[in-house]
Amino acid sequence: MSKQTPAHLLSRIALHAVLLTVGAIFVLPFAWSIGTSLKPLRDLFVLQPRLIPSEPRWENYADVLNAVPFIQFYLNTILVTAARVIGQVFLASMAAFAFARLRFPGRDLLFFLLLSALMIPEQVLIIPRYILMRELGWLDTYQGLVVPLLFSAFGTFLLRQFFLTIPNDFQEAATLEGANPFQIYWQIYLPLARPALTAFGFLVLLWSWNELLWALIVTNRTEMQVLSVGIALFQGEQFTNTAVLLAAANMATIPILIVFLFFQRQLIEGISLSGLK
Amino acid sequence: MPGVSRQLAGVSVMAIAPVANEARARGRAGPRRQARTQALWGYLLIGPMMLGFAVFFLFALIVSLGLSFTDWNVLASPNWVGLDNYARLLSDTAFQQALRNTAVLSVPHVVLRIAFSLALAIALNSQIRFRAFYRTIFFIPVLTMPVATGTVWKWLYDPSYGPINYALGQLGLPRPAWLSNPNTALMAVVIVLLWSGVGYDMIIFLAGLQNIPRDYYEAAQLDGAGRWRQFRDITLPLLTPTTFFLVVVAVIHSLQVFDLVYIMTEVEHTTTNQFPTIVYYIYDEAFRNFRMGYATTVAWVLLILILLFTLLQFRLQRRWVHYT
Repeated sequence: MSKQTPAHLLSRIALHAVLLTVGAIFVLPFAWSIGTSLKPLRDLFVLQPRLIPSEPRWENYADVLNAVPFIQFYLNTILVTAARVIGQVFLASMAAFAFARLRFPGRDLLFFLLLSALMIPEQVLIIPRYILMRELGWLDTYQGLVVPLLFSAFGTFLLRQFFLTIPNDFQEAATLEGANPFQIYWQIYLPLARPALTAFGFLVLLWSWNELLWALIVTNRTEMQVLSVGIALFQGEQFTNTAVLLAAANMATIPILIVFLFFQRQLIEGISLSGLK
Repeated sequence: MPGVSRQLAGVSVMAIAPVANEARARGRAGPRRQARTQALWGYLLIGPMMLGFAVFFLFALIVSLGLSFTDWNVLASPNWVGLDNYARLLSDTAFQQALRNTAVLSVPHVVLRIAFSLALAIALNSQIRFRAFYRTIFFIPVLTMPVATGTVWKWLYDPSYGPINYALGQLGLPRPAWLSNPNTALMAVVIVLLWSGVGYDMIIFLAGLQNIPRDYYEAAQLDGAGRWRQFRDITLPLLTPTTFFLVVVAVIHSLQVFDLVYIMTEVEHTTTNQFPTIVYYIYDEAFRNFRMGYATTVAWVLLILILLFTLLQFRLQRRWVHYT
């Protein structure tokens, strides 16, 4: 291969130039958001906006906490997300194991029935679910935020595909040892499926942390609201100051970015997995 | 299925039976008995998932279909109105506007999303340095909460004080009103959707590219095929299953846009929206105007649209998708 020809070098430089330009466009909104969140009021409504504040005003972040129960929003979001992640991963992996590795009458029919859920937009189901929550008295509760969203057909499908790649021998050997299917699932298949579980878990975490529509509908009291709803509703109400609003938006995003830094590799692999059937 | 219910009745007993006893029993049991035990475990393990599915999908779906034939408004009990709601769609200009907005948003969103993400994936699939760095940069917007994304971009688009119009003004270009004008709001929303979605598709394209066997390119090089020929005759065709998957997902995603529109295009301190989409309209009708019956009807239109488009794409895929 002719690696170091001038033409090759030139094309590399051009490629970097393009990627850096596009990269700058991708980063700019973050930079602007951070810059603006630190601006004093007098910097906001100027006709020549600057990225860097004339003098950083860190109090904007404290103002968020004073304007709304932001800590409570954080706690609600963390709690609801943790419950959804654990619940979805557990229920989906258990069903996926049964669909992949156990024989029972009607298995394939039930599996295809479950898959049909993938085709149904959530918006069709949201009003009946809301009625159900109202009848159960679950509006403005954690179980109302969590339970209807615990059942992931997508996760069952994804994890079943993964379980099918695990050799059958493990199961046969364990059965001879006298292990029951739940033990085989719990002690053999779950540990072997860790990459897929982590990837799926992170996808659930990302979706749950950012979810707006259901949380908007099922909660009304301020104490029960999650970050997305809190920011959406207080936009233009409490947060008349854009700098404070952006400080809130940044605070909502940072935890996800931190988790991503830790799980970057698994997540990227997981997304790749989900695209390859 | 009577057999199933009989087996299900035994499930609770099975669950508490001591494991050791069961194992000993199975040692003696014939293959028939073993098959039955396995079936019981199967139903037990899929049980929670199927129960949730039955309540929150199947039951909800049936209730939703029923509601779409009623005038339910939360306060009074629902009355059967037959096809009135569906007839009303034909004369409801607000619905038609939402439908039109969704359609004009979907086309550029899907096309540009596929084009940009493919271009980025191809650029990053070469032996270029700092690949991981670039990949992270393009991916990070995917992680950002749409509410936060909308908040930031709303400020970027601000007609008087935002940096975008400031930059356009410096370049001597016209300064559009962006989100406060329904015509430019479309472009503004598409740009944000691309910014926050391209990174995801890029990752999936990258995985697809890495699945193309190297020897295909080597063979093509031996035959004297240039870069462009290789791209057209190897990369594009072998990538079509990935492209197909991403197009299907992007269409569904476009039809369901809500968060960004809710944040960005609602006029401050009112519930007027400059760019309502179908899902925004469903939300508005159901939870602000409390026309639950009618909102469900609109949701069913959305369901039917999604099914139709997906079905259509699966039909058309034979024409352009190559499975190896």
